[in-house]
Formats: sequence, C-alpha cells, structure tokens
Amino acid sequence: MKISIMKPGLLSTVQDLGRYGYLSQAVPVAGAMDQLSHRLANKAVGNDDDLATIEFTYAGASFKAETDVLLAYSGDGAFLVYNEELMPAEKPLFFCASSIIKLIANPIGVRTYLAVAGGWSVPNVMGSKSTYLTAGFGGLKGRALQKGDVLGNGNELNLVSAGIKDQLIKNELIFPNWRISRESLLPHNRQTLRVVLANEINWFDATSIISFLTKSYNVDRRSNRMGYHLVGKPLMRKVKRELLSTAVTPGIIQVTGSGDLVILMADCQTTGGYPRIAHIAAVDLPLCAQLKPGDEIRFSEISQDEAEELYLEREHDLALITTAISLKYIR
Amino acid sequence: MAEQETYFSDDYPIKIYGLSEQSLTIEFGTVINENLLSLITGFNQLLFKKPFPGLVTAVPAYCTLTVFYDPLIISTSGLSGTTCYDKVSNYLKKLGSAKREQSTVITDNVIIPVCYGGIYGPDIATVALTNGITENEVITIHSSGFYTVFMIGFVPGFAYMGGMDRVLATPRKAIPDSKIPAGAVGIAGTQTGIYPIETPGGWQIIGRTPLKLFDVNRSQPSLLRGGARVTFKPIKVEEFNDYAV
Repeated sequence: MKISIMKPGLLSTVQDLGRYGYLSQAVPVAGAMDQLSHRLANKAVGNDDDLATIEFTYAGASFKAETDVLLAYSGDGAFLVYNEELMPAEKPLFFCASSIIKLIANPIGVRTYLAVAGGWSVPNVMGSKSTYLTAGFGGLKGRALQKGDVLGNGNELNLVSAGIKDQLIKNELIFPNWRISRESLLPHNRQTLRVVLANEINWFDATSIISFLTKSYNVDRRSNRMGYHLVGKPLMRKVKRELLSTAVTPGIIQVTGSGDLVILMADCQTTGGYPRIAHIAAVDLPLCAQLKPGDEIRFSEISQDEAEELYLEREHDLALITTAISLKYIR
Repeated sequence: MAEQETYFSDDYPIKIYGLSEQSLTIEFGTVINENLLSLITGFNQLLFKKPFPGLVTAVPAYCTLTVFYDPLIISTSGLSGTTCYDKVSNYLKKLGSAKREQSTVITDNVIIPVCYGGIYGPDIATVALTNGITENEVITIHSSGFYTVFMIGFVPGFAYMGGMDRVLATPRKAIPDSKIPAGAVGIAGTQTGIYPIETPGGWQIIGRTPLKLFDVNRSQPSLLRGGARVTFKPIKVEEFNDYAV
C-alpha cells in the first residue's frame, strides 16, 4: 500500500509514540503531539498503537493513493474529503488506487493523524520512527513531508487489518458501519485542563497560585511542537533562587523569568531550569495538542493519585477498544 | 577508614517527587559538586544493574536522577505500595539503602582533539582580549584543564562541563550567531562546551573538534555521558582535515 504526497500542507511529519531510550543523551521524546488521536487512528485499521502515523498540521494537504490503501484518521485539525464527500474519522477507510484525498479545515483544532494498515514505513532511529526536525533525524529523512514523497506500509497486514480490508472489498464499501467513539474518551469541557501541582509550587506566592487555578490564559502565537507560550496574569515568585537544570517531560508547565507560563510539548528539551508550577494530567495532554493561538484555557487541580488513576483507567478503556475491534474480525 | 556510606544517607538526605504519571525525580541535593555527581552516577548505574519491572529510562542531572517507568507494568507488578508512584519510590528507597561501591562506578575518559583559532575559532581573539592574554595562552590554558561532564541536556549530546579556568571566562555574544556548526568549541561565562549539532547560539567560539559529539548511527549516540572526564588536545588544521576524510 502506497500514497504519494501531492500537497504537504503547513507541517506534516511521521510520528509514533516517541523516543524514550535516549533522554539521558538529551534526545527529546518527540512523537505524536496528540497521542490519543494517533492511537485511535492506528486502532481503526487494526494496528498496534506504536506504529507510525502521519501528523498533519491544520488543513491544506492532499495525497493520492498509488495502490489500494486501507487508512484511518483521527484528530481535530482537518477532515478527510474524497470525491467531494466528507470521510468519517476513527473508522477504517478503503480507497482504490488513484483516489485523491484532501484535508479540509476543521475549526476545532490543529493536528490530524493518518494511519495505514501495517504502519508507515520509515527507518527506526534510536528505537523510534518519530521525526525530530531540530536535529534532522527520524521520520522520512529527518524532515517534514514534501510534494512527491511516497510512503508505504511497513509490516504485513495482521489478521485484523486483513479482515477489515476483505470485508470492505467484498461489500464494495469505503468504510464499515462501526466506528470508535473518540468523544467518549474526551472530557465534556475541553477548555479546562486538569493539572497536578509541581515540586516548585511553593516558590510562587499564594495570590499567584490562586490566579493560576482560577484565571483564564490564552495560547500565544509562539506555540509549536516544542511548547506553548500562554498569555495571562504573570505569576510572582516568593522564592527567588534559581533551579539547577533537571529533567522535564511533555506536559510540564514552566514559569519563565518574567512570570509567563510555558506548557512543554512533544519536542521539548529533556532538561530545563525554570521552576515548574504544575503538569497537565496525561489524559488531558492530547487536548493541548489541539490548542490554537488565541484559544482560552483554564486549569483545575487534581491530586497526583487521581492523575495516575485516570491514566490507568484511560489505558484500560483503550485496551477494550482494541479487543472489541479484534473480536469483530478474529474468531 | 570511614564506614562505607549508603546511597541515601544523612549526608545526602534525598527527596522524591512525582514529575508526571510516568516519571519521578530523586533529588540528592541542591548544589553542584563532584561528590554529588559521583553519587548520582553510581546510583544510576546501580539502578540499571538492578532494574525493576517497568523501568523505561533514567535521566541524571546536576542534583537529580529522574526515573521513567511504565505505569501499566508497575500496577500489575509485585512491587509494594498502593500507587505506581509509591511502588517505584519504595523500590528506589530500598535500592538507596545499599552500601555505596565507589570503586565500581564506571568513569569515561575522553580526549577531544580541537583545532583552535583561525577559521574554526573565530572568537579566540575576543576571549584573549577580554582576559588580557594572548591567543596562544587561551589555547594552552583551555587544553591543559581537566573537565567533568555534569549532565547532558539542551540539545542531543550537549555536555554541561565544569572545570574551566576562570581566566578564560568571557560573556556570551550580545547578538547570537544564527548558525554555529557542529563540533564548535565555545565559552560562555565560566562554562566551556561543544556544539553537537548545528544550532543558533551565543557562545564565543575558540575552536572546532572533528569528532562527532552526537551521531545517531552509534550505539551510544552521545560521545559524552554524565560523569565523564574530558581533556582537550590541540591539533593542526591538517590533522583536522585528515579526520574529516
């Protein structure tokens, strides 16, 4: 199965669940910004969650099926359109060779993930297929996708993917009648992000901690795969001493010297020296990946134990989805 | 001879805090020094000799070691504790009560050839002028020092090193260069460092090494690791060019 990129759009890169083995050598995690959408796109074609998808940024990209292909997409940056018809998300989609698929704007978010049955084939670099643009490695030749790039699936189709493909071909369908409900995994209120207070919380004065947990913040234009700058009431420090550089990870909210908040994202550095006020609960981090400049957000506090419980529940729900899909195709 | 210490002791009261759902940090102290570095390096090596199920990786820094784990594996493991965070913390505390075996800590010794000055070290004159010494003295002082890698951070393979003679201290450039090549050896304040990849930067560049500080094709991509001892060896342009071939 192969596609060729006709228009790459603003920024399209190959990503997986990230690169964890080399953090001590300052190699960032990278990987899909919205890991939930990445995983659901993979699940919808019968893949394991860690196979590579294409991360598209906003709309504008288009591609052509060079062979028959079994694809699925998820996310909030764009809708897939084929033959002037909107294609449903979180469902397997079968396109015949020569089909042309376009991404049109979805006003909700930023990033959309495209999975292929068997996963996109790019070399493994340090245990991951994720693109890290700053150092130019991973993904397709360490760079963003360009017009003319051809990408194909890496692995042989597993039983589930093959089952989905056979069902769609036999019934001459583009997609089946089932879909994964992504909405049921997302909180009702997407503007409020749950946070766990961080180690340096007492470095900030009480009024600032209260404003952090009650006031709204807007996503600034200086926002990318490394992190999001927020605009809002600056936080004041009670403790003035410097933090010696120590490990950080995506989701952490750092406070800069001028009191501004920065949410670290997938491509963030592995260590940082700014005090940290909180970290975004892992289950809400995918929502961050869909934030656009200007979007308004608020933070609400949960405990470290609650955050861990939510994480484990989410993983349990995601495992159930995989089981449910497998059961449709494997007896 | 003094009684052998444990990793976590009254001399180094440790603090553990959660960093995310998949990581926690052990803080061994709050100041930079070589004893702490050797303690963290030793404990990190011990952790990988005796890993717990679900250990993903660990990141040493100046005063901390951050341990990454897979909560799904931890939650079903036999480790004692209610939450994953507790289970991992308890395991690490138990590990930290072991006696320190300093003799077994592995220390890398790395010699880095550097072609100083000229086209490879355009800012050597600035460093000399700032400190009232000659360019040759800059080379002699820089290449006769013994340096210690405290941690790797900032960009892949970048080593935060201690040990530079303060005679060479030079402020960063007011306006950073838009491109500093990989291998550039620079000075910023009282620190010296080597750029592993081409990035923008404000350091005063005094030379360049032909060695690859970071190479994705090596099993250990970063040439330097936390705890390594580093020395610089001056080389001529011809030797530099021979490396490149």
